[in-house]
Order: sequence, then structure tokens, then C-alpha cells
Amino acid sequence: MGPTIDTENPMPTIETGGLTKRFGSFTAVDHVSFSVRDGEVFGLLGPNGAGKTTTIRMLACLLAPTEGTATVRGLNIGKDSLKVREMVGILTENPSLYERLTAHENMDFFAEAYGISDRTKRSHRVKELLEFFELWDRRDDRVAKFSKGMKQKLAIARAIVHNPPIVYLDEPTSGLDPESAKTIRDLIQGLSRQGNHSILLCTHRLEDAEKLCHRVMIINKGKSIVTGTIEELTTRVQTHPIVQVALAKLDQGIVDSVKESDSVREVAADTAQGTLTITVDDYESSTPTIVKRIVAADGRILSVNRVRPSLEEAYLKLVRGGPVEN
Amino acid sequence: MRIRRAFLVFRKDWREIRRNWQVILPIIIVPVALSVVFPSFIVLVPDGGESSEGTAALLGSLPSELRAELSGLPSRAVVIYIFLVYLLAPFFLIIPLLASTVIAADSFAGEKERRTIEALLAMPISDSELFLGKVLVSFVPSMIVTWSSFAIYTAITDVLSFSTFNGRLILPNLVWILFIFGLAPLVALSSIGLTVTISARVKGFREAQQISTILLVPILGLFFGQLSGAVFLGPVVIGLLAGGFALVAAIVFEIGVRLFRREEILARLA
Repeated sequence: MGPTIDTENPMPTIETGGLTKRFGSFTAVDHVSFSVRDGEVFGLLGPNGAGKTTTIRMLACLLAPTEGTATVRGLNIGKDSLKVREMVGILTENPSLYERLTAHENMDFFAEAYGISDRTKRSHRVKELLEFFELWDRRDDRVAKFSKGMKQKLAIARAIVHNPPIVYLDEPTSGLDPESAKTIRDLIQGLSRQGNHSILLCTHRLEDAEKLCHRVMIINKGKSIVTGTIEELTTRVQTHPIVQVALAKLDQGIVDSVKESDSVREVAADTAQGTLTITVDDYESSTPTIVKRIVAADGRILSVNRVRPSLEEAYLKLVRGGPVEN
Repeated sequence: MRIRRAFLVFRKDWREIRRNWQVILPIIIVPVALSVVFPSFIVLVPDGGESSEGTAALLGSLPSELRAELSGLPSRAVVIYIFLVYLLAPFFLIIPLLASTVIAADSFAGEKERRTIEALLAMPISDSELFLGKVLVSFVPSMIVTWSSFAIYTAITDVLSFSTFNGRLILPNLVWILFIFGLAPLVALSSIGLTVTISARVKGFREAQQISTILLVPILGLFFGQLSGAVFLGPVVIGLLAGGFALVAAIVFEIGVRLFRREEILARLA
């Protein structure tokens, strides 16, 4: 399950209300509302064309909403666009790097553009980031010579060059090989652990959401389907809780004994593996009864676990099933 | 407006342009042809033995002010003077026009093509600062190229025609000075304003450049008008042209800044 954060923290860093964007008759984002808390990694999860990038572009003040409101650290994205841009770092869908410039020149340009006007401070910050992203040795190479993974690392370094409190990352691992994707995920985790960045992560990769996000919002065809922690989302799609019990030895007597319990709806037994997969009405009240029955039937329990659907199952179910009440 | 931010965009773009042969080559080739090849060819090509009738016919098509200036000169000197001092002047407007158009076309359209525009637009920089930065990066190099070409052209013309005119330096004269330092910058600004505006609204560099070549039409009109005797590029005409181009520049800049919308630029991403 994903990382956790203090969910009682009342301070929203980003807050949207009914955010909508239409391009002619096409509605790219349709009345989307969510809030991102201070220090949180919040995922916008959805298939291609769901409206994730348009949402990020509105929050980065690149597109004006057709309807609705959004504030970033209390600043209105329409009225205070310059101030909002100053406090946001953005990794765009494409790395958006100047390929004829070197890594150092790219970083230096963006550092100055984001307000680090002192040359010494700028130089120090650029060095610090290029070293952190293991690009210092290639600082004088033109970006055109970089691999896709290196470009992505440099683009993330650029996004945080001014140490922004808020970072938007649009598909940070898209198109990368598994090793590079893991490196990028580790880097984002590292940023998140530093604790001074709220991260809005846009992705269609469930692995990214699962490993990085405190909470996610599933979005499809411009509409918000559900918002919550990964655990909440997977629980939401499960009609009845499932308990899995591993035993040293499984026989029919134990299976029959478990089936007799009132709160048990369904039992699947795998004799070869020695496991019972039991669908119950309520996890908390049913589990002790099941354990008692197994012990009474001379079963030796090795483990008892609650089985939740994977994020993939939950995601597919939610995306296909349409809006869900939060 | 924070000028420092506009200069930052200028510096970044200038660094990129210096490394982009697609942009640099056309900026260099035309000025070299105009400032080195043309005067060398006209002065150094052996005398074709122009007849006094032929020269008289050439002079006949020119305005009376120029005829008076050339009276008494040998036929060879008249031909050199007409070509190098009088007829080639409008062609020098092609240098700022071409240089600025190529760079300006690359400004937004090139960034869209290379997919660097989104990060640029996301920066905390106002529309007018971004617009000014893009204008500067087109204007400064085009004027450097224009003024350098003029200096080279003047030097080559004077050196090569020194003996033909018995030690008289035929360039620079008042008309050329007004042309190069008064009219050329205004022509460049007009074309930049128009091209940057177009460049922000089309998908690619080539498209922006192709549309911008329409600006060559008035320059060619000026050349043929002069050749036929319909126009005489004296200080008054240059002053009027400068006024006209200043007005055009002001209008296209006003329109350019008004039409400049981050959203429009992003919407036209290829």
C-alpha cells in the first residue's frame, strides 16, 4: 500500500472547486474538485486523455479554466498567475529541455528565470542538483546527447531548481525502461521524504501511484471518479471483505466447520497450498470466530490476512464503473 | 515589465541560435553575397566597353537629381555608381528583413516544434517580457549583421572603386546612412513584430517563415520602382518610408502583444 501522511492536517496547498475546461464543444475537465495537503504526494490517476494534463496546465496557469476555481497556497490561479508560477515547479509531459544547450546552461537559465538572480547562489544550487541527480559529470554535454532517462532526471532537477513548495509532475516515468523508471520513482520518493514539497503527480502507471502517492484521484473522461488513499480505493471496490488463512494442513473437516459460521458467505479451499479464502460480511467481527472454528477443528494456523483487490483491479473497476460517491 | 527577464530570454535564445545552422546559414549567406560578391563583381568584371549611348539610356530612366550628380563622370564610373550606390541600396533592406524573419520565425514556432515551449510558458515571466525577449533576439543579431555588412560593403566598394573615382570615396553617403541606420531598424522591427505574432500562432518554424516571406514584396517593389525611375530614394522618400515602417511596427507590436496568449500558443502545439 502507498505511503501515509497526516490526513488531519487542515492546510490545503492546492484546492480546486468545480474546475472545468472546455475546448469548443469538447469538455476536457468536467467539474473536478480536490485538495492537496501540505507535504502530500497526490496522484491524478487515469487513462490517456482523461484530463490529467489539462488539469495540471490549469493549475500551472498555462490554461484558463472555463468554469470553477482553483487556489495554490491561497492564491487564485487566474488573478495571481505570476505569483503562482513562482512557487510551482513543473515537469511537463515532454522534458521541455533545450537540446542545443548543455545540462548546466539549461539549469542556469531556469534557475535565473525562477528568481535565483545571485550568480554564486545559482551556481551552488545547480551544482547541488546535478550532483544529486548524478549528472554533474555530464554538465557540459549538450542535452541532445542525453538518454531519455537522463533527460527526465534533468527535467525534474529543473522543476525543483528554485526549491518550490509545490511540484507538478506530469507522467514522470512515461516511456522509460523499468530501471530508469525505478530511478525516477526513487528520486520522487526522496523529494517527498524531504517533506518540503507538495507533489501533484499525474500518471496512468498504477505502480507509480501505488508506490508514491499518499492519496489519489481517479479521473476519466474529464470527470473525477473517486478520491482517497490506495487502501480506501481498493476497499471501496470490494463488496465483501475477504480473509485468507494459511494452514499447516487443510482437511474437509476444517472447511466444513468454517462454512457453518453465520458471517461466512463463501469459502474457497486450496488443499494443495493449505489455504482458505473466505468471503465474510465483516472482517473485524468474523475473523475471531473463523480462527476459533479452525482451532477447534484441530487446524494449525500459519497466518491470517485480509485480502484486498490490487490497485489495478480497483482502478479498472472504478474507471469502467463511472462516478462513485466519496 | 522586468527588462532583466526579457534579456534572460534573449541570452538563452541567442545561445541556441548560435548553434543552429538552419538559422545561421541564411543569415550569413545573403549578407556575404550582397556585401562582398556584388561589389567585387561589378567593379572587377572587365569593362564591357559601355557605349556613351548605352550609358545615356541607363541615365535616361533615372531621376533628374541623380543625373545631375553623375554628369561629367566617365561611362564606367557612372555604371559602377548607379549599381553600387543607387540600385543596390534597397537590397540591403533584405538583410535585416531576412535575418530577423528567420530568427523570429524560430522564436515561438521553433520552440513548439522542439517541444520546449511548455516549460518556457510556465516560467514566472509576463507575456510582455517574453514577447520583448523574443523580439530582442531577432532584432539585435539582425542589426549586427546589417551594420557589419554595410561596413564591409562600404570598405570593399571604396577600395575597389578608388582609382575609378580618382580617389573619391563614394560610400557612405547621406542616403545610405539614413537607409542603414534609420530605415533598416524600422523594417526589421516591422518584420519581427509580424513574424513573432505569426510564429506564436502557427505550428512550425517553416510555416512561420513561409508566411513571413510576404514581407519581401514591398522591398522588391522599392527596387523595381527605383529601377524604373518611379521612385527616387532621397532623404525625403526615406523619411516617408521610415515614418510608414514606424507606423507598421507600432501597429504589429500592439496587435502582437494583444494576440499573445499562452493558451493560444499551447493550443497550437503540433
